[in-house]
Amino acid sequence: MRLKPTRPFPKTALASAVVLLSMISLTSCSTSNISGLGFEKNLSSVNDTSLSLWQGAWIAAGVVGLFTLILILWPVFRHRRKGDEVPRQTQYNVPTEIAYTLIPFLIVAVLFYFTAKDESKITKVTPSSVAVHNIAVNAIQWSWQFTYSDVPNAPKITGTPEIPPVLVVPQGEKVRFTLTSTDVVHGFWIPAFMIQMQNLPGVTNHLEFTANKLGEFPGRCNILCGRNHSQMLFKVKVVSPSDYQTYISTVKAA
Amino acid sequence: MTTYAERTVTPAGTRSVAKANKGRLFVKWITSTDHKTIGYLYLMTSFAWFLVAGVLALFLRAELARPGMQFFSNEQYNQIFTMHGTIMLLMFATPLFVGFANVIMPLQIGAADVAFPRLNMLSYWLYLFGGAMAFGGFLSPGGAASFGWTAYAPLANSQYSPGIGGDLWVIGLAISGIGTILGGVNFITTIFTMRAPGMTMFRMSIFSWNVLLTSILVLLAFPPLAAAFLGLESDRIFGSHIFDPANGGAMLWQHLFWFFGHPEVYILALPFFGIATEILPVFSRKPIFGYKGLIAATIAISALSVSVWAHHMFASGQVLLPFFSFMTFLIGVPTGVKFFNWIGTMWRGSVSFETPMLWVMGFLITFLMGGLTGIILASPPLDFAVSASYFVVAHFHYVLFGTVVFAMFAGFYFWWPKMTGHMLNERLGKIHFWTLFFGFHLTFLVQHWLGIKGFPRRYADYLATDGFTNLNTISTIGSGLLALSMIPFFINVWISRNSPKVTVDDPWGYGASLEWATSCPPPRHNFTSMPRIRSERPAFDLHYPHIKTEGH
Repeated sequence: MRLKPTRPFPKTALASAVVLLSMISLTSCSTSNISGLGFEKNLSSVNDTSLSLWQGAWIAAGVVGLFTLILILWPVFRHRRKGDEVPRQTQYNVPTEIAYTLIPFLIVAVLFYFTAKDESKITKVTPSSVAVHNIAVNAIQWSWQFTYSDVPNAPKITGTPEIPPVLVVPQGEKVRFTLTSTDVVHGFWIPAFMIQMQNLPGVTNHLEFTANKLGEFPGRCNILCGRNHSQMLFKVKVVSPSDYQTYISTVKAA
Repeated sequence: MTTYAERTVTPAGTRSVAKANKGRLFVKWITSTDHKTIGYLYLMTSFAWFLVAGVLALFLRAELARPGMQFFSNEQYNQIFTMHGTIMLLMFATPLFVGFANVIMPLQIGAADVAFPRLNMLSYWLYLFGGAMAFGGFLSPGGAASFGWTAYAPLANSQYSPGIGGDLWVIGLAISGIGTILGGVNFITTIFTMRAPGMTMFRMSIFSWNVLLTSILVLLAFPPLAAAFLGLESDRIFGSHIFDPANGGAMLWQHLFWFFGHPEVYILALPFFGIATEILPVFSRKPIFGYKGLIAATIAISALSVSVWAHHMFASGQVLLPFFSFMTFLIGVPTGVKFFNWIGTMWRGSVSFETPMLWVMGFLITFLMGGLTGIILASPPLDFAVSASYFVVAHFHYVLFGTVVFAMFAGFYFWWPKMTGHMLNERLGKIHFWTLFFGFHLTFLVQHWLGIKGFPRRYADYLATDGFTNLNTISTIGSGLLALSMIPFFINVWISRNSPKVTVDDPWGYGASLEWATSCPPPRHNFTSMPRIRSERPAFDLHYPHIKTEGH
């Protein structure tokens, strides 16, 4: 590259491009779990479906992004003004224009194919009569009510902003959630499980997934619901199926 | 009507004369029907709101820097982010489009003014007072609106959000929205009826095309919003049940709001794409690459933008996911086409980096990253993982800040000589750019990880055990840098008064559209003579009659 000494700016541009590129590449490796790009494998049935899409989409985005970035920066460095000449006034190149319309279309068509496939898996809900476990999740300002509706007398756990409730679910077994709200719109979100759904007043929503790994995972309301929105937390506790049965019967007794 | 004559009568007025005329100048400005003056009023007012909402953003970042509530109560925090979003979108970015369109579009199509000059001024007053009204909620006993700029039902009704602040917000924005609608009517009429002889639609500059398409989107998007606001206010003060959850009001609001909200994103994006498209050819010394394809892409984006609104509602469980997902993916295609038009314009050009071009490069890189995360969010399974989190906050700041703010400064540096007759300083402009660029990316890049780690948007607080602290601290430091970057700009604007007067029509040398074929600043009715318009580059043809365009 021949740069005139009178222009100190290109070096800055080059340096910043390098920094930016490294920032972008860090997107994929500075998180704790490299392979999951921020999410863990096998935590829930949703992760089983979505994680490969998440990885694939990021690879596609990374490749497209890097390619476009190089194309943007190429003329910045290679086609810089050298003299006072006027370049060729090219305005159209039809084959190129067709190519850069069709190729992005093909890319999004492929992404949509995988999206549609996974999304129908995630949103599938079995009828309540045949579902293994049913838990009702009702949202209130500013906490959660979990009702374990499989056992008679359906025990209901109500949390408060100060003492967030615990949602107990059995490991490896499908749970069908019924989402409602008493007052305003809330969002039922379990970040580690890659799943969320709104609790809407006047509407009943359904969601189904299986938690695969024992442990505790934070859950948060993610739709603004008023003053104590940020205190509307809960904890998901995944226990063995037998512990789950014990839990719902004890809660009933309590 | 006599303004131009007056300018020539008092050419060499002394300072004392200028002082004595300040009152007259003020009256002249607030009673003006000149599209340029009204445009300057729009630009100045919206920029002032940008600074106000920027300060609110600094408050938010200060509160989030560490866990625990240090500066505000939860309710105050909610008010601050509600007004930050409201101001940035409806009182800064939207009127900023009206400002640029007012100043530049009539010049580019060779018109003497807009079609309805008085309506133009009325639009401005509706905007000014509507905006002041919404912000005035801070002076009310209960404080400003605190239900988010999205005002979801039923949170925004009088039961869950009582207080006059909410009413001022709803009615203020409805009034301001009417101003925007009238502006849209004005621009469409102007473009269809007032183009100079020879200025066919396919010789019009891309910026003017984008003003036309944006105005059409305004007419599609703002009336439903105004209707929704009036319905909400009727619920709030008359006790009607339009958005009552018992009648499906929660979903009705989301549909109405996002039917406005998504085209609104393109209302904010298209004019600023237009600014970038004006600047790239000038500093590449080439015509815009694929002019007609670019217009087709913009029309496609406008058409698709009204069929993607429910991607904001994927997690509601109440929308047809495959349709809205596919439409959202699809809108990425014409957006991609635009990128290649921009790249193609620079390709094998004679590219130089005066400040306007530098800002356009900032726009390209920032918006590219926002577009890519947009493709991720278009997929419902991935949206379920990170929607309504800081990932989305990062995404839309990359898209909107990347487009609106970068292209705004590009436009300021580019058209400053046209508007004021003085150039801005290049060195200060470069300091401004690089500080802002790094400040912006430091603030918002890390927010992607915050979202993936599970930090929801609109949270006033988080726990020390959540693991959000470090990234939030970095983001806050970045926002400080971002704020500091305004200082060189203010200095630049201040000292530009004394920079030498621009005596040529086109100080950049290779301007293409008609505004570069009249003086800096233009006379009262814009042109003393009109060049022949035989291509989309009339000013270029005028200055370089021997250079031929190739590739038809």
